[in-house]
Amino acid sequence: MTRSLAFEAFRYTMILLAVAVTLIPILWMASMAFKPIPEWQATGAALTWWPKAPTLDNFRYVFGVSNSDLIVALDRTALKPILASFLSAGIGTVIAMTAGTAAAYGLSRFGSGGNLPLALVQLRLFPPMAVMTPVMIMWAFFNMTDTWWGLALVYGIVTLPFAFWLMKTFFDDMPKEIEEAALVEGCSRARVFWRITLPMMRAPLASAALFVFILNWSDYLIALLLTTREWVTIPVYMASLSSSMTGQLYGAKAALGLMAAVPPVVLGVLIQKHLVRGLTFGALKQ
Amino acid sequence: MKDESARLGFRLTLPAQVLVLFISVFPLLMQAYISLTDWSPLSGQSWPQAWQFWNSFANYSDLLGDGRLWAALGRTAFVMAVCVPIEFMLGLGLATLFMDDFKGKRVFYSILIMPMMVVPAVAGYMFFMLFQSGGPVNDILAMFTGSPVTIAWLSDPNLALVAVMVADIWQWTPLMFLILLAGLVGVPEDQVRAATLLGANPLQRFTSIVLPRMKTIIGIALAIRVIECFKIFDTLFIMTGGGPGVATETISVYIYKIATQDLIWGYVAAIALAILIVLSVVCVWALKRMARVRA
Repeated sequence: MTRSLAFEAFRYTMILLAVAVTLIPILWMASMAFKPIPEWQATGAALTWWPKAPTLDNFRYVFGVSNSDLIVALDRTALKPILASFLSAGIGTVIAMTAGTAAAYGLSRFGSGGNLPLALVQLRLFPPMAVMTPVMIMWAFFNMTDTWWGLALVYGIVTLPFAFWLMKTFFDDMPKEIEEAALVEGCSRARVFWRITLPMMRAPLASAALFVFILNWSDYLIALLLTTREWVTIPVYMASLSSSMTGQLYGAKAALGLMAAVPPVVLGVLIQKHLVRGLTFGALKQ
Repeated sequence: MKDESARLGFRLTLPAQVLVLFISVFPLLMQAYISLTDWSPLSGQSWPQAWQFWNSFANYSDLLGDGRLWAALGRTAFVMAVCVPIEFMLGLGLATLFMDDFKGKRVFYSILIMPMMVVPAVAGYMFFMLFQSGGPVNDILAMFTGSPVTIAWLSDPNLALVAVMVADIWQWTPLMFLILLAGLVGVPEDQVRAATLLGANPLQRFTSIVLPRMKTIIGIALAIRVIECFKIFDTLFIMTGGGPGVATETISVYIYKIATQDLIWGYVAAIALAILIVLSVVCVWALKRMARVRA
């Protein structure tokens, strides 16, 4: 079907407009990350859209290299928060994927745990803020406040619904004949799972894990409530970066924001195919 | 054989069951207990001793007369009522443009879905910078008006709410776009073609063939956004912290503030529990309705 020229013009205009609106905030932060201090804010003069004297000072600053233009040095560097983000999001993903995959397989093949689908949707429905105070009390009781493992455990539970639903739809899609053939050959159920099902599921497992990792990595509220100093994650650390001495540390924060934003965007492009499935709890496949 | 399956199934689902119980049942009971007291972590007593602060349901009666709570709920509903329809219309509009092939489709697609992958807290910071009085938004406005614009977006109560909603729309329109596009692509092509042959114009084709086929998908997309919008916290909190004053205080921000600043956790528990109960009722009602529609 050929479309009229007018329609094509309309389409490209609208899409380019949308692309511009999409990119401006991202590019503004990216350019801010490379701006030297004098260009951080417009001081009467025109705004600098593109850094005139690009510099890596902002990145150096958040990693502890003192900057002569800023009176105060940071009392802690971005290194530990980056580590905290990777550890808690990574281990949280392992927890969610292990429990989620096992449960999904159990429900998909043996019909066990029929209460799980609804329970997990409900878990997703409630605002985290409304369940966090008891969790804060419990975590304090177990000495898990302000630790990466405490955070990882919450992340594992919070993203369990996504891991479960994603893997369940993947298992449901998988032809049962292959497993049945192996069972007839005399393989035990467990052996079939380890030797046949899991290897076949490698690609779906990887995309589900990446999806869950992005969700964990994106958290702010839970880390804000459960970490105080030692194991704050990147978003919490970034938000705390401003002092009465220097005011807003625009460039430094933008550098951090850029570093926090890159992994999920890259991973997201990798798993584009499964995004819809993941976001709709497997109700929709692309 | 059957026994083995049942046992294996039980073992496989056990870890997930334990985790769910761990995060739902115990906290729920604890919250129910604390919500009947004036307990606070600063009271010098650990939470099992909260009964000493028994206040005979005062938290629940306070709740009804708490103007700030109702204002926060109203504000959350307002944000939802503005953002979700706009996101839906924009997402649907964009999705229709992406239905057939054109040059650069994949690249544009990848760019357009980027915002929802940006960490919400970082997105909040982006818009915090954009809406500074010396920031790019005013700069762009000045380009159109021809004279310098110095609107202090984030310190004006009404404009701050607008700024927060703009950020939400920027970040979540891509989600609508993504889901609705998946739905549009799934509409059987031959039916559309048949309608065209029978002389239906594009608008008729859209409203009588495409839309009815997408009912479930639209429902899912709207439900996801309504649920997420109700929880709105990260972007908003980074941008305004709920301020100026209480101008952008949504329900999550309000609970956060009384939990971390006023530290009256007995009351926090009462609010949280009330919300959980209302949401559960709504959820069960919605599921029942959906089941009836399908049957």
